[in-house]
Amino acid sequence: MSRKGHDAGQPAVLDYRAVRKQFGSFTALAGVSMQVHRTEVVCLIGPSGSGKSTLLRCTNGLETIDGGEILLDGAALPRDPRGMRAMRRRMGMVFQNFELFPHKTALGNVASGPLTVLRLSRDEAEQRAAALLEKVGLADKAASYPSNLSGGQQQRVAIARALAMQPEVMLFDEPTSALDPETIGEVLNVMKTLAEEGMTMVVVTHEMSFARRVADQVVVFERGQIIEQGPPEQIFDAPLVERTRDFLSHLGWAG
Amino acid sequence: MNLDWSVVWANAGPLAQGTALTVVLAVATMAIAIPGGILLALMRLSGSRLLSGASASFTELFRNLPLILVIYAAYYIMPITLDVAFSPFVTGLVALSLNVAAYNGETFRAGIASIRKGQSEAALALGMSRWQTMRDIVLPQAVRRVLPVLASTWVSLFKDTSLVSVIAVSELAYTSMRIRSQTFRVLEMLTAMAVIYWALGYPQAKLVDWMNRRFGVSE
Repeated sequence: MSRKGHDAGQPAVLDYRAVRKQFGSFTALAGVSMQVHRTEVVCLIGPSGSGKSTLLRCTNGLETIDGGEILLDGAALPRDPRGMRAMRRRMGMVFQNFELFPHKTALGNVASGPLTVLRLSRDEAEQRAAALLEKVGLADKAASYPSNLSGGQQQRVAIARALAMQPEVMLFDEPTSALDPETIGEVLNVMKTLAEEGMTMVVVTHEMSFARRVADQVVVFERGQIIEQGPPEQIFDAPLVERTRDFLSHLGWAG
Repeated sequence: MNLDWSVVWANAGPLAQGTALTVVLAVATMAIAIPGGILLALMRLSGSRLLSGASASFTELFRNLPLILVIYAAYYIMPITLDVAFSPFVTGLVALSLNVAAYNGETFRAGIASIRKGQSEAALALGMSRWQTMRDIVLPQAVRRVLPVLASTWVSLFKDTSLVSVIAVSELAYTSMRIRSQTFRVLEMLTAMAVIYWALGYPQAKLVDWMNRRFGVSE
């Protein structure tokens, strides 16, 4: 059961059907099927190299898939350049290493999508960017360059940059893994607010307490496969699969 | 030994003109070779086998021929094969530009390659096209990163312009040599030439050092 309770009649925003991905002889995804519904927060957890990030990167076409299909609102992901660009506008992505553009200010980073891709006027793009910086609590850092921001601040700018495209889905690829412990909280708070506002989110994370509190669905990966998925109560309190329990106890998760 | 420095002062006018032409030649060469180098790098990285091969051939040809040979070739062969008659200045400019563009192409290619993949992925994820990603995100960072290398190339170029004296471009080296052969004041003219090149080159080299400190380290 989804916490927010999605309408079963609605098609999934993202529908993964037996997705396979191969890197040479290494099988990154060995037939992954799952669905993400509108306003849902889905957390992908599991050991490193289990395929979580690869699935995310396949979702917006940064990696191509070798088998199966991924449907966005019921339509297969396009493969032509123009179609891919249109598809990527509908998904925001946040990276582990922030990947802010170092030659642009915080405001310039957030405005870059609207300016270049949506071709808004500079005024409109910067107004939108300023509003989003305000939203992530960094209105006073608009003129700062990334090198003058802390990791947590950079990641919040990166979230604002993705939001500036007004995406339908946000993809988070280990957004707090590169952060100092004291700045993790500020990023997770922004993400939690987004979730409460009804943003559809797919989050690859090692922050189990975040997954526990915010996720509607938790999906456990191992060796390119989903070994268990369900609401956080199930995964964290009463996992049905032994290996889920092993993984969580490995992390020191005590419920 | 009997030195007569008055020959230098007597020819101050031509020497100043020669110096000016040296500066103009170096600036004009860079003005062509920087866009040319960017174009070569983009062609090389384009993914098109034709463009990439053309760029690689150009680069390896002009990087591995002695510059003086390219200058002679431009002077003797270009008019015959292309049926164009350029002035010595333009001929020298063409030869220098071919050579420096080949070096700049490699410089920009290294600069572009040094920008980590995540940067272009972030741009693509926003919905930018490959061209927008290159133009707005990768190239501006790459150019900043290779600025010290471009500056070193500039300093070399500034001195290498003297090679076009062999085709009678009346820049500083040619002018000095001409005065030398008219007056037989060899030592005086060589010294004057050395002083002028050094006085112009030294601040440039210092500027490169400063740029290395200022731009060399990033992230």
